[in-house]
Amino acid sequence: FLLGFDAEEDLVGSLASMSTNERIKAIQKMPETMRKKREIRNKVLREITKKSRHRGAQCTQGTQGVSFRRFGNTLSEYFHQLQPWHKTLKIIGAEFGTSVLSYFVFLKWLLNLNIFSFLMNFGFITVPQFLAAEPNNLSFTGLELLTGAGYFQQTVLYYGFYTNATISKVENGPSYNMQPAYIFTVGIYFVICFLILLFSVARFFSRNFKLTKAVSVNANKLLCTWDFNITNEKAVKLQQKNLLTQIKEDLAEVNKEVLNFSVKERVGRIATHLLAWVVSLATAVAACAGVYFLSINNLKLFMKGYSNDLQRQTAMLVLPVIVSLLNTLIPFFFSWLGHLEKFQTPGQHIYVTIIRNIILKISIVGILCYYWLNIVATSESQCWETLVGQDIYRLVLVDFIFCLLGSFFGEFLRRIIGTTVCMNLGLPEFDIGRNVLDLIYAQTLTWIGILFSPLLPGIQMIAFLIVLFVKKVSLMRNCQPPRKVWRTAQMTTSFVFLLFCPSFLGVLSVIGVTVWRLKPSEECGPFRGLPSMYAAVDEWIQILESYTVSKWVVWIYHNLISSELFFFIISAVVLIVTYLYWQIIQARKTMTKLLHNQITN
Amino acid sequence: MGNKQTIFTQEQLDAYQDCTFFTRKEILRLFHRYRDLAPQLVPLDYSDKPAVTLPYELIGSMPELKDNPFRQQIAEVFSEHGDGNMTLDDFLDMFSVLSEMAPRDLKAYYAFKIYDFNNDDYICKSDLEKTVNKLTRNELTPEEVSLVCEKVIYEADVDNDGKLSLADFQHMIVRAPDFL
Repeated sequence: FLLGFDAEEDLVGSLASMSTNERIKAIQKMPETMRKKREIRNKVLREITKKSRHRGAQCTQGTQGVSFRRFGNTLSEYFHQLQPWHKTLKIIGAEFGTSVLSYFVFLKWLLNLNIFSFLMNFGFITVPQFLAAEPNNLSFTGLELLTGAGYFQQTVLYYGFYTNATISKVENGPSYNMQPAYIFTVGIYFVICFLILLFSVARFFSRNFKLTKAVSVNANKLLCTWDFNITNEKAVKLQQKNLLTQIKEDLAEVNKEVLNFSVKERVGRIATHLLAWVVSLATAVAACAGVYFLSINNLKLFMKGYSNDLQRQTAMLVLPVIVSLLNTLIPFFFSWLGHLEKFQTPGQHIYVTIIRNIILKISIVGILCYYWLNIVATSESQCWETLVGQDIYRLVLVDFIFCLLGSFFGEFLRRIIGTTVCMNLGLPEFDIGRNVLDLIYAQTLTWIGILFSPLLPGIQMIAFLIVLFVKKVSLMRNCQPPRKVWRTAQMTTSFVFLLFCPSFLGVLSVIGVTVWRLKPSEECGPFRGLPSMYAAVDEWIQILESYTVSKWVVWIYHNLISSELFFFIISAVVLIVTYLYWQIIQARKTMTKLLHNQITN
Repeated sequence: MGNKQTIFTQEQLDAYQDCTFFTRKEILRLFHRYRDLAPQLVPLDYSDKPAVTLPYELIGSMPELKDNPFRQQIAEVFSEHGDGNMTLDDFLDMFSVLSEMAPRDLKAYYAFKIYDFNNDDYICKSDLEKTVNKLTRNELTPEEVSLVCEKVIYEADVDNDGKLSLADFQHMIVRAPDFL
């Protein structure tokens, strides 16, 4: 790849005319040896100083540019130091490969989302509330950390404590109106989250799902999937064995004729699959019904009052424990069911089990939301939002405890059993699918709870940190590298998509119903007395109307945000643009096919 | 600005930063890794650009490369004379391309050279056979290896010349999201 002399002159010329950043990127990307790159770089720098001298610019500009770049470099080095997990993630990638690493990267990403949410809520809602706090008369016993009730009911942890007044410390000084602050902070956080998730999903899809011609399966497997990250000898041997098995299977399929099932066998297989699906859906429905009746029972007991405090505390914990137990045990049942129906490939088994787990989790969260929004909100309790917040707090906490227990039993004890009692079981593997679904479930609960308990992201943040640490230690000590093939890029895309589509959009609809349809409680919270939480925005707009400076905000609100015609026009425009892009993609596909035919002939 | 070090001149460090994807600290750390392989051969002062080469055996014993089935090819591709013995420049070059900050096209270009065992700028059938054997630890029969190689060429060869050129290889990489 030696450049001719003329080509090199052209290259130097084009590099010299780029901006500094582009030039550096272009030099870094050149597939040449270091020596050649240094020569070219020096030539380019000489060219640049020659040009600037021609133009009469000062010589100091060149050195200023260099020292500015050096400053930028040291800044980026310090920024790198701020990411404390970098080394940990690298070690995990080296020992276990990129598939297990994708779980930890996902966890870190969720942790960042929660940190952002916590900072927003704390800064805009909690800190002003501290200035106008009422004294707390309740006593603190240790059990409150688990149940979230009692002492915590009168703290900034829950919606009910926040005032609906305008807070001002100094007479005639700047005032802080809590009502619009609360609703706008939550609203803006969700909008930002929506945009982040949308762009992430789009980026992953464009990178990982090339929906062009059929995949070149074999070439792909041979040349592209070797994980060069791995430096552990055992992991390397496992990967080689994996590839060997895959190639052997492929060859066996080629040599043998395609297995033609007889009609009776095919019907039998379809019947087995149908039966398994019916059983799993029935289990999910049964779990939901159980949760629903248990929670209604709970509410009835709560309204009636309890004989003593201890009974009340334990009764409050029954629901979260049952929900977490269902979430932990039913997936094992699904996995066993999947073993019974003989799938054609192990990949199918994994996908079907994951889909069933998703259905289970969605239905449980769905039934809980239905219970909260329809039953609790219309009950005669004093402060239903705080009740919902407490429920969510307990669910999050018990789920976190079960996650730690699951790690203990699933990995630590399993390793001990596998190495001492039952030698042929061996070390456990890290179950990526189940762990990622647990993360998505926990994040869904947190998002639902932001409106009712503004500090919940902070609690979830601490929980995620502990989970990260525990999982990492457990992984290094107890697990072996994965034996099955795991197509990392596809699965990461699916997980981010799952986080966006059922999880986040579901949360948005729940929050939407809460803000627009439900009546806030009369005696507590920042929206007390209003017909709905959204009415706070209307009131704020009315206040703004009295100031001439902000008339444009009022105009935008009346004519754009609350008018249906505007949204109709935007939807029509988006649909037209989508249709045009789709046609362009079809045209490009035809073009690619034509060019391909030209090359081969 | 920052720590004082006497190994490189500031200009050398600037040149390294411009030509690789590493920051100053990473370059110094890599230099110390290079030096740790053979402290008596590598001087601590590089400002007069000494011509020091480390033999392949030392490079191949690094923990990052020790278990990699392609370590010999990797060292040969990045070394100056194609024999596996690397200077500091080659060393930095190799790690720069293999780091996570390098773009995929650059990695694809070097991956092509690594898989090209006979250095004829094409991946022919014998190159593929050697690759398959390295990836499966010689546990497939020769007929199976041959069958796999034929299938790979059939699928990936766009211009139908019986071997994979750089363009064919890059065309395949673009559509493979798992390539690292």
